[in-house]
Amino acid sequence: MAKQLAFHFDASACNGCKACQIACKDKNDLPLGINWRRVAQYGGGGWLPHPTRPDLVVANNIYAYSMSVACMHCENPACVQACPTNALTKRADGVVLINQDQCVGCRYCEWACPYGAPQFNEAKGVMTKCTFCEDLLAQGQNPACVDSCPARALAYGELSELRAKYGTENAIEPLPAANLTAPALVITPHRHAQASSKGTGHLLNGEEL
Amino acid sequence: MNVREWALITFTILAQMSVGSFIVLGIVHYFTAKKSGEKQADELSDRALLAIGPVLALGMAASLLHLGNPLNAYKAVTNLGTSWLSREIFFGVLFAVAGAVFAVMQWKKIATFQIRNLVAILAAVIGVALVYSMAMVYMMPTRPSWNMLTTPVSFFATTLLLGVLAMGAAFVANYWYVQSKNPGCASEQCVLLRDSLRWFAVASIVLLGFQFVLLPLWVALMAGPATASAAMLVGEFGVVFALRLAFVFLGAGVARHLFVPRGVESGARKSDGHGRVLGVRARPCR
Repeated sequence: MAKQLAFHFDASACNGCKACQIACKDKNDLPLGINWRRVAQYGGGGWLPHPTRPDLVVANNIYAYSMSVACMHCENPACVQACPTNALTKRADGVVLINQDQCVGCRYCEWACPYGAPQFNEAKGVMTKCTFCEDLLAQGQNPACVDSCPARALAYGELSELRAKYGTENAIEPLPAANLTAPALVITPHRHAQASSKGTGHLLNGEEL
Repeated sequence: MNVREWALITFTILAQMSVGSFIVLGIVHYFTAKKSGEKQADELSDRALLAIGPVLALGMAASLLHLGNPLNAYKAVTNLGTSWLSREIFFGVLFAVAGAVFAVMQWKKIATFQIRNLVAILAAVIGVALVYSMAMVYMMPTRPSWNMLTTPVSFFATTLLLGVLAMGAAFVANYWYVQSKNPGCASEQCVLLRDSLRWFAVASIVLLGFQFVLLPLWVALMAGPATASAAMLVGEFGVVFALRLAFVFLGAGVARHLFVPRGVESGARKSDGHGRVLGVRARPCR
C-alpha cells in the first residue's frame, strides 16, 4: 500500500477548546477568515416525556460533541482532480499541497472539496490550504495542531497503522460521507457520534467555520 | 454576489450565446441554401456571423475577472486529464479559433461551399463540446443540487434559446435596415429574414416553455439528495426563484412581440399551423 500520512482524531477525548485551530492559525500566520483547521460542533436531542408519567417527568437526551476538521489529505482528492492548473498535487507521502505560483485563483477546488479545506486568500488572489506542517515534519517535529491539543485528541501517522490501532471510522457528522474522496482520517467516535448523513442533530457553529 | 461571481455568469451566458448563435445560424443557412440557393443564404447569414466573434471574446475577457490571479490564466489548460474546468477553457479557445477560421473563410469566400460547410460543422461540434464541458464543471458530488441531469439539459436549452434570441435580434436589425432601403419587403432577402424571424419566434417560445417545465422539475429532483438546497431555493431565495419563473413565462410573450416586427407578425398569423419551412419562395407583401 502506498504511503499515506493521516490524522487521527479522538472525538471521545476532545473537549472543544479549539487550541488546535488557534495553534494552526498562529503557526501558519493565517489572515482573518482563513482557518485551515476548524472545530465543528454538532449536537441534537430534545425533551423526552416519561413513558408512563409524561405529566410529571420530562427527561432529556441532549447531546453535543466536537469534530476537529482540517484537510483530510484524501486518497482520492477531489481538489487535485478539479484544479485546472495542476497547482494542487498529492505528494508521495500522501500530503496534498498547493503551489501558489501555479494557482490561478479560480476557486474550483473550493467547490470540489467536501471538507472546506482549500480556502481563498483574497489579498493574494490564490488558494491556501493545510500543509500538514510539512516544514515541521521535515525537521522531525509534529504538526502544530497535534502538539497543541491539551486532551491529546489529535495524532498523526501512517494511515494503515492508524487504522490498525484505532479502526477505520472516517465518516461522523458533521463530516460528509467518506466515499466522495476517501479521506485519510481515522476517528475514535464520541459516545454520541452520529454517522454521516444519518445524524439526528445539526451543526451548532456553522458561522465559525 | 461579488464581481468574481458576476464575471463567471457573464462568461457562461456569453459563451452559450455564441455557441447557440453559431448553431442556429448554421441551421438557418442550411435550410435557406436548400430553398433559395447558396448566394441568398450567405447574404442572409454573413453579417450576423461576424457578430458572434465579439460576443465570445467579451465572454472570455469577462472570465478573466473571475480569477484571483489572472496572470496564471494560460496555465489553466494543463489538467485536461481530470479537470472539467481545463476542458472548458480548452474547448472555449478551440471554438474561438475554429469559429474565427470559418468566419474568415466565409467572409472572403475561401475554398468551396462544401469545405466551408465541413469547417462550420467542426466548429459547431467543438461548440457543443464547450457547452457540455461548461455543464460538467458544475456536476460535482459535493454540490448535490447541481449534480443532476437538469444541469446539462438546461445548459443546452439556454444555449439554443440565447442563440435564437441573439440571432433574432441581429435579424430584426437587418430586417429594419433592408426595409428602410427598400420599403414593402419586396426583395428576396427581406422575405427570407421575415420567414427566419417567424421561426425564431416559434423556437424561442418552445424553448422558454421547456425551461418553464425544467425549473420546477429541478426543484422536485432536489428532494432527497439536496433537500437543504431546495429549501433555500424556495425559502431564502424564494422571491428570486419566483421572479425567474415569472420572467421565463413572460419571456415567451415578450419574445413574440419584441423579435417579430409588425409586418412579420401578420405573416406569421397567416401561416400559423401550415408548418411552413424556412426559405419559402419570395412573394409580394401586403
